[in-house]
Amino acid sequence: MSDKIRREKKSGKKIAALIFVFVSVFCLVFFAARGRFQAPIANKTVALILSPFQNSISWIGDKLSFITTTVSDIMHVHEQNKILLSEVEELRAKNIAANEFEAENQRLRALLGYKQVAVQFDLEPARVIGRDAATWSSMIIVNRGTADGIANDMAVVTEMGLVGHVIDAGINTSKVQLILDPRSSVGTLIQRPESRVAGIVEGDLNNPTMPRMVNIPKNSDVIVGDVIVTSGFGGVYPKGIVVGKIKDIQNEESGLLKYGVVETTVNFQKLEDVAIITQSREAPPAPLEQNNQQ
Amino acid sequence: MKIFSVWAILTLGLYVLQTSFLPMFSYNGVSVNLMLLLTVSIAFLKGHHWGVFVGFAVGVLHDLTTGAFFGCNIFIYMSLGFLCGKFSDHIFKEQFILPVFSSLLTTTFYYFMMTAFLHMLDYKLNLQWSLQYTLIPMLCYQFLFAYPIHKLVFEVNKRFKK
Repeated sequence: MSDKIRREKKSGKKIAALIFVFVSVFCLVFFAARGRFQAPIANKTVALILSPFQNSISWIGDKLSFITTTVSDIMHVHEQNKILLSEVEELRAKNIAANEFEAENQRLRALLGYKQVAVQFDLEPARVIGRDAATWSSMIIVNRGTADGIANDMAVVTEMGLVGHVIDAGINTSKVQLILDPRSSVGTLIQRPESRVAGIVEGDLNNPTMPRMVNIPKNSDVIVGDVIVTSGFGGVYPKGIVVGKIKDIQNEESGLLKYGVVETTVNFQKLEDVAIITQSREAPPAPLEQNNQQ
Repeated sequence: MKIFSVWAILTLGLYVLQTSFLPMFSYNGVSVNLMLLLTVSIAFLKGHHWGVFVGFAVGVLHDLTTGAFFGCNIFIYMSLGFLCGKFSDHIFKEQFILPVFSSLLTTTFYYFMMTAFLHMLDYKLNLQWSLQYTLIPMLCYQFLFAYPIHKLVFEVNKRFKK
């Protein structure tokens, strides 16, 4: 009889402990979401332990992908060879034209000072070694950390445009929040000189591949196809990085503002290599303007 | 101690696979959630005590690395570990049909719990769009991987059972 009572008491304690844990974790979600609970040391420790394995598996994945692509290429090589031979002649002619364009392009680049614009950033190349399984959050893990000079809030880009920013720099890996994440907000401008309308690009849970540019006044002249660049407001993202272009414009529910659906220039589904902006400086004046002033 | 090490290595291995390799085969950003399958399988085979414990450990790992809101995955995995573990005494451990088909139910549970958390945190979600482009791919992936993962957990459990 006493055994039964002892067992019941023990079971009651277990249930109480279980309920306590469940309630604590439930509350923790809301504390963490409002930034009142953080576990940076645990974050870094887990990242440090997992990163070598993630690096290795990611490397194996890359190699497997390379092998399957190669095998697939070999299977189609005969057919491709015939097509390619006919294209060679055509391409030779085009190549001459392309060389002309290249030379022209180089001249234009020098003229517009594109090169000088590029040197305002110190870039640290990084490889994507992990990403979340679902679309609740848009987060990636890259193989660069504080040991490589990476710190929180550094902007991450590719040659195509803005990717996101570092939210948690570990020792040799960093967690990057993509601009597709619903919690991300990027201060942006319409690049068109006649417009220059400012807005905020934020992730859209309902369309995880296309963020939205919000807070656009209803009477502004934003049009479909407008290119969006970072405004530099807020201090995280340097000014002038391409984000994407407006694909569609919709009215906000309130009726006072409108928002644009943004087609990003970066293909986030095929994100493999990125660069982290470790330092950005004020861009030197463009050579064209200098020449005009003289 | 040995048995804990075995489960820890298995969990870490599957997690690394889930975050590094399997996203290569993702559809619209959705890929398989091996941690969910692992928690459910262990709960079915070892009961609700283990289910809750593994759910907690796996949830912490997920939330610390790639989770959206700290605690969400811990809560959901623990709940699933507890609920599935309660069935542990009523199923034949050698029968794989229930655990494999239950992956559909547990994934739906995971999806709706996560949606509920997002709503409670004031994130708006178009449910129709999300059901089509998130839940359906999730169910397909989970169902595809449910048998191999359960088989793996079953074999490990059989081999290292005290």
